[in-house]
Amino acid sequence: MSSRFSRLSVTALVVMVLGAVVVVYPYAYMVGSSIKTRKEFAEDKISLVPARYQISQRLLHARGEPSALDWPGSDWSVVRNYVDAIRYGEVDRYLANSFIYAVIITSLQLFFNVLAAYAFARMEFRGRDLLFTLLLCTMMIPPAVLLIPNFLVIRELGLVDSVSGVLLPSLAGAFGIFLLRQAFLNIPTELEHAARIDGCGSWGILFNVILPLSKPALITLGLFTFMGAWNMFEWPLVVLSNQDYYPLTVGLSLFRSETSADWPRIFAASVMGAAPLIFLFLLAQRYLVGGISLSGMKT
Amino acid sequence: MSLRPLRQRLLPYAYVAPALIVTGLFSFVSMGISFYTSFHNFDAFAGESGYVGLANYQRALFEPDSYFWLALRHTVVYVVLSVAGVLLSALPLALLCLRARYGQAIFRTLYFLPSITPGVVLALVFYHIFGVWGQLLDSSSTALPALALLGVWAGAGYNMVIFLAGLTEIPRHLYDAAEIDGAGRLQQFRHITLPMLRNTLVFVTVMTVIGSFQVFTSVYIMTSGGPERSTEVIAYTIFINAFTVAGQMGYASALAWLLFGVIFAFVIVQMKIFRSRKVYDE
Repeated sequence: MSSRFSRLSVTALVVMVLGAVVVVYPYAYMVGSSIKTRKEFAEDKISLVPARYQISQRLLHARGEPSALDWPGSDWSVVRNYVDAIRYGEVDRYLANSFIYAVIITSLQLFFNVLAAYAFARMEFRGRDLLFTLLLCTMMIPPAVLLIPNFLVIRELGLVDSVSGVLLPSLAGAFGIFLLRQAFLNIPTELEHAARIDGCGSWGILFNVILPLSKPALITLGLFTFMGAWNMFEWPLVVLSNQDYYPLTVGLSLFRSETSADWPRIFAASVMGAAPLIFLFLLAQRYLVGGISLSGMKT
Repeated sequence: MSLRPLRQRLLPYAYVAPALIVTGLFSFVSMGISFYTSFHNFDAFAGESGYVGLANYQRALFEPDSYFWLALRHTVVYVVLSVAGVLLSALPLALLCLRARYGQAIFRTLYFLPSITPGVVLALVFYHIFGVWGQLLDSSSTALPALALLGVWAGAGYNMVIFLAGLTEIPRHLYDAAEIDGAGRLQQFRHITLPMLRNTLVFVTVMTVIGSFQVFTSVYIMTSGGPERSTEVIAYTIFINAFTVAGQMGYASALAWLLFGVIFAFVIVQMKIFRSRKVYDE
């Protein structure tokens, strides 16, 4: 029995490691290609490490034999494409735009969702259940279906090609309100009664009692919202035409459509676009994974 | 109750108002506008130019120059490949992850990376990887499966995490009892794991179906619908008609409503299929 168990666990480990290689390979490809010279990438799209950093070439060079280190462009520095992407591709501005969009959307969405969720969880008012049901219904509408209609609304509001036009539809969301309401409902009401006796109004209760006790849900929702905002593509693509407002995703698609696409530079920009989220994810993993399990339990 | 001061009674509405205005405006109101638009000739920038009745729908469904059916066929193929791929990768990976003695946390982290990477970045990288692997995107027979492969690659880890959560919810004692009764691993999987995972399976399937029906980014970045329209999917057709061809907003709105109908029908059929299965009650 125990030998069978260990054989299974070894097989599992091997398969998982192979899977991990499959998952990591495109990232390695992206990073490796981002430090190649344009010419080298045009000639060799396969190798993960640029020739000038390959051990075999280094050995040849050390022995004084001809190697990739003698090629033109072998002094291309590791950060060169990154610097160029910022200098000529204005990737720093796209990154700043993405960051601003994500921060504003996350903070305002948290604020408005908290207010609504609190009212739905703790207040009595006419039409509450109907409004909440209608709110949940909006989750069933696929975003692809809303693309044109939302654009028409933004157009009616005169917000086409503006920052507000990008932000407005994401300032509140049914999923967030649902998630927070669940969290608020789990907080015992006795705590609020105590706070009320101490003279707290509903605003004070929300900020002094409810929110401090709902930190995990708030962080989870905040992360989800931030990631969604950072990764959004189709909506800003449709709303914006002024390149100064582009988030990184749309900026990247613009580079790609250029006839003389400088791929190593595009990969450098891609790395810069993916890195912040990966960093954020590594910092706050447990909240995200917890949140996903939660969304899986929803059914 | 009604004697409370007016301010007290209005307070809840003030709390819910901002969120409800935003969500209502960008769902019900905009759907209403879209419904109206689908019966009109409409240009994205010039505005409305006349009621045309069902002409937009008629054009989408019956006219030979319409790419609706072509796009729908491609979308359905993409959805089927994606759902099959995600289920056949995410569930086995979750089962194996639980069995692996070392590195569960690391695997979880690594496998999750694709779902936190911008879709545009993934599309740009796979554009070249598929090129290296034999020009997958250059042939009309392999381009669509290649896009689905990217979808599966990107979605497997996320759904593995969901399956892991579902698997850890299954009470251990069920397996202990089955073991005493002499059930093998396969039997345990068939008679305990699968039925107990039913909710998770429904969730993953439905979410993958809904998500892949709307595939856009990879098509836009990697193939632009080609070669020979072989990767033209509905979301892409809608986008192209609404925002690149002048005066097609009404037609594109009609397409969007048709897509909504198709997704809705699929989800309902799925729910029916899953509902009719008997599951163990506690």
